[in-house]
Amino acid sequence: MTNPGSSAAIGRPPFWSYWVVLPAFVLIWALIAWWMQSPLLPTPLQVLDTLIRESASGDLWHHLGATFGRVAVAFVLAMSLGTVIGVGMGRSATTNALFDPLLVLLLNLPALVTIILMYVWFGLVEVAAVMAVVINKVPNVAVTVREGARSLDYRLEEMATVYEFSHWQRFRDVWVPQLFPYLMAATRGGLALIWKIVLVVELLGRSSGVGFQLHLAFQVFDVATILAYSLAFIAVVQLIELTILQPLERRSSRWRQPEAADA
Amino acid sequence: MLELRIAGRDFGQPVLGEIFATVEKGDRICLLGPSGIGKTTLLNTIAGLDKTIPQEAVIGRDELRVGYLFQEHRLLPWRTLSANLQLAGATPQEAEDHLASVGLKGYGHYLPDQLSLGMARRVALARCLAVKPDLLLLDEPFASLDPVMAGELKTLIAGIMDANPGMAMICVTHDGGDAEILANRLWYLDGKPARLQWDDRVGEPGLIDGLLGKLRRLDLADS
Repeated sequence: MTNPGSSAAIGRPPFWSYWVVLPAFVLIWALIAWWMQSPLLPTPLQVLDTLIRESASGDLWHHLGATFGRVAVAFVLAMSLGTVIGVGMGRSATTNALFDPLLVLLLNLPALVTIILMYVWFGLVEVAAVMAVVINKVPNVAVTVREGARSLDYRLEEMATVYEFSHWQRFRDVWVPQLFPYLMAATRGGLALIWKIVLVVELLGRSSGVGFQLHLAFQVFDVATILAYSLAFIAVVQLIELTILQPLERRSSRWRQPEAADA
Repeated sequence: MLELRIAGRDFGQPVLGEIFATVEKGDRICLLGPSGIGKTTLLNTIAGLDKTIPQEAVIGRDELRVGYLFQEHRLLPWRTLSANLQLAGATPQEAEDHLASVGLKGYGHYLPDQLSLGMARRVALARCLAVKPDLLLLDEPFASLDPVMAGELKTLIAGIMDANPGMAMICVTHDGGDAEILANRLWYLDGKPARLQWDDRVGEPGLIDGLLGKLRRLDLADS
């Protein structure tokens, strides 16, 4: 920020790069598929056909909806729990001592193990599926938020003490704005991770959701369906990024750009 | 209204020694002393920020409303000026009035980062007023301001003290000149560990001149 010439200044690529690289990618894919003429690599048009068919039959929306519901519940639970634990660990040495060994354990536990154990212990039920995702995600959130809680500005803490802020004011007006970049990082990484784990959870033990559909398609080597669902999936994730995450980030970092805020 | 019975404070090595003093309504104390001697530490202790100092060491503080002007403005950068004052206890109307009283009428919707250093410090002063303070703690309020802005702020603070005769003030400063304008009492903190070497009321004109003369010599010796 202070040194625009540094490599750190290379942020988002220009918008046109998406309009060049992605169509080029589709073109190459189409050429290879046309040359191979194999059901194992359908052409982009065949995938689009499948997508339209699945969408028209309602299957796509049913399964996307099921996956989205699981992601939403798991995300809210993991973020809330992880934030509380992370703030606690960042602010209190005792809490940190209590949770840190557990975090090390959980962070290194493969997601698949949690999923299997949850299904084995609690059966192939919805609660087990969501719990498996939450347990996988909470440690990441806690670790990220802990960093934020550790870097809270003590000068603002003193100010809040002198001016007798209530607990709620201290949380909302002093802590959350400082934790915001960490919460956003946890959200970004969190959504990416949760989406992927939810698919595995569905593949292993649910009868709805994108993961379940992928499982069915895999059994009959229906690559067009696999790619169609993947595309729909990518579209939904990008939609959330553009309609929720980015506006939220812009809105909450407005104070960093006084000129924009003044307008 | 306030009685200090501080047994001492150390950060690895002793910083503050025993400090006994009382602060009365209407006191305008300038706290002078060499850099790094513990003036801010003493101010933090009086404000109750130092949790290692037992409550009994600062008698009467719990009944007082304290406004603390820190060295940095310590406004919440993500809240407007008005919201910053309201968080300290002002109503929206009071917030506007306090901003107006420090010469920033109509600035309520601005964000702290849009202000110059001098303006931000005046807003922080307005926040002190928002708690309707009995005791004002000012930590080097004139540091790094240009002489004109520093002069304006001095006049402002003197005006606030004149308008509120029941209020007391403790103002940390390096500059004997500030004390000449603001103070009716001088504390001089020095030594290792630091103690109040002088605690003098400014009565007759000769006394302050004598004290300031001594201070200037110390300043010269110090630098």
